[in-house]
Amino acid sequence: MKRSILCLVLMGWFVAAPVWAAPDLEKDAKPVAVPFELLKTGHMTISVKINGKGPYTVIFDTGAPVTLINNKVAKEAGLLKDAKKPAFSLFGAMGQTSIKTLELGDLKADDVNTIVMDHPTVEAISKALGPIEGIVGFPFFARYKMTINYKDKELTFVPNGYDPPDVMAAVTASIMGMMSEKNPKAKVLAPAAQWGFSAAKEEKDEDAGVVIKDVFADSAAGKAGLKAGDRLLTLDGRWTESLRDLYEAAGYVKAGTAAKVTILRDGKEKELTIKPGAGL
Amino acid sequence: MKALWLSACLAVCCLAPPLMRADAPKKDDGKKTEGTAYQVPYKLTEVKHVLIRAKINGKGPFNFILDTGAPSLFVSTKTCKKLGIEPDDKGWGTFDRFDIEGGLSIPKAKGRIDDPFQLEGMNSLGLAGAELHGVIGYNMLARYKLEFDFTKDKMTWTELDFKPKAPEGLGGKASSADMDAMASLVKVATMFLGKSKQPEPVGRGFLGLELVDDKDAIVVKSVLAEAPAAKAGLKAGDVVVNVKEKGIKKSDDLRKVTADMKAGDSIKLSIKRAGETKDITITAGEGL
Repeated sequence: MKRSILCLVLMGWFVAAPVWAAPDLEKDAKPVAVPFELLKTGHMTISVKINGKGPYTVIFDTGAPVTLINNKVAKEAGLLKDAKKPAFSLFGAMGQTSIKTLELGDLKADDVNTIVMDHPTVEAISKALGPIEGIVGFPFFARYKMTINYKDKELTFVPNGYDPPDVMAAVTASIMGMMSEKNPKAKVLAPAAQWGFSAAKEEKDEDAGVVIKDVFADSAAGKAGLKAGDRLLTLDGRWTESLRDLYEAAGYVKAGTAAKVTILRDGKEKELTIKPGAGL
Repeated sequence: MKALWLSACLAVCCLAPPLMRADAPKKDDGKKTEGTAYQVPYKLTEVKHVLIRAKINGKGPFNFILDTGAPSLFVSTKTCKKLGIEPDDKGWGTFDRFDIEGGLSIPKAKGRIDDPFQLEGMNSLGLAGAELHGVIGYNMLARYKLEFDFTKDKMTWTELDFKPKAPEGLGGKASSADMDAMASLVKVATMFLGKSKQPEPVGRGFLGLELVDDKDAIVVKSVLAEAPAAKAGLKAGDVVVNVKEKGIKKSDDLRKVTADMKAGDSIKLSIKRAGETKDITITAGEGL
């Protein structure tokens, strides 16, 4: 039971709009700018201090769900004391631990989850292009509104109040749960507001968009001029290629928010503004 | 088992491979209007990859992971085969039109036609919740100022007046026994660790009603003509009385208890109208 709830929560993570009410943050928090270097391979590297030790050069990677530090630096920075060593380990993986302070220029983050491991790709790049000790990824940068500017070779960070979940724990639980689930039920995607129309997409239909079936006259969609037979191409800037797309897109638009939709009618693209209402 | 999976997952999720040879695309002549900002919708997958969608030559959409750890755009061989795009003798493909969801269009995009084992691994583990068709890396990302903010549901990509240098390979030193070992490990691990196939999600059923709170009562504020609630006989002004047992204390709670209601499912409401109580069963229809 607990497991299926966990799965539900995780499924929620995936489909739900990644929008959380940000706690009150200092409004005029200035972005902290941090320079980065670009390796000839196209990888970005930054210089970090770990628990006051360093600086160390690491790869900055938006595609990494974890932060990862090699054994040598982990030892120097005292990360191995609390690491839970797995029973079975590859590439010197020492399990997950926490970096007390991760400093990046003037930026200082506390308690950043990290994996201790000698990642083969990092090692290979390190051997060819100078010492590189790990990867900084999602658990760090997700805490900030972050910009990447390759032209100026600069990252900027402003705290955004987002609390990154522990990816490894969540995913492990999810996989274990999913594997034991014999007949998973179809997820139900709930729109966040009432639009007042229905749509369909035939299996053979490979054209863009979904076809509007019914429009309720006194609904938000009806008042905005949506008509049966229109092809709905986008909703709130999202492609609506399938009913799944449509419901996912509608999951992001709250009642009372004006949203642009693009339709194809009589061969012409047209933009309508619909303000969906409360209700279901 | 868990540890094996963990290692596989780590291997898969971090860092697309560097290019093995220094076979860069010769020229990149993408024209652009400088400074335009685009709102690019994204999803965060279970493993916290930023997933965005793109259409190639009008076909798709295809799912891509946004990865500064990847040297270039990668598009899977299967996808390219479907699109009829052939790699040149060095493995690069030209995508005449690469449209990113949110309105951004890149002409003559260059990318590797390849299947990094990370991508294959994530697909066979079912980690993205949808089939992944590729990775968007440095050679495409570097033309934009990218803003990530996970408290918002869209990213901002602002065009830069900047032509990134083509990424180079690591040369002969790159091939390491450990990297090969990792690729093999992923293949073995994914053979028996994959998630069962998830059924296609469906949209919630449609009722066509709105409830409001009036002091302690929950009142029907409006019903849409011709919609399921109206057809079942519900009228504006009806007071809903049986809802406490369903755990509904406020009108907004109805949203929670009906969150997994599909078209065809029914909900019974006891209502009070002009002093009389009656039961109304609404069968949810299709729509939103």
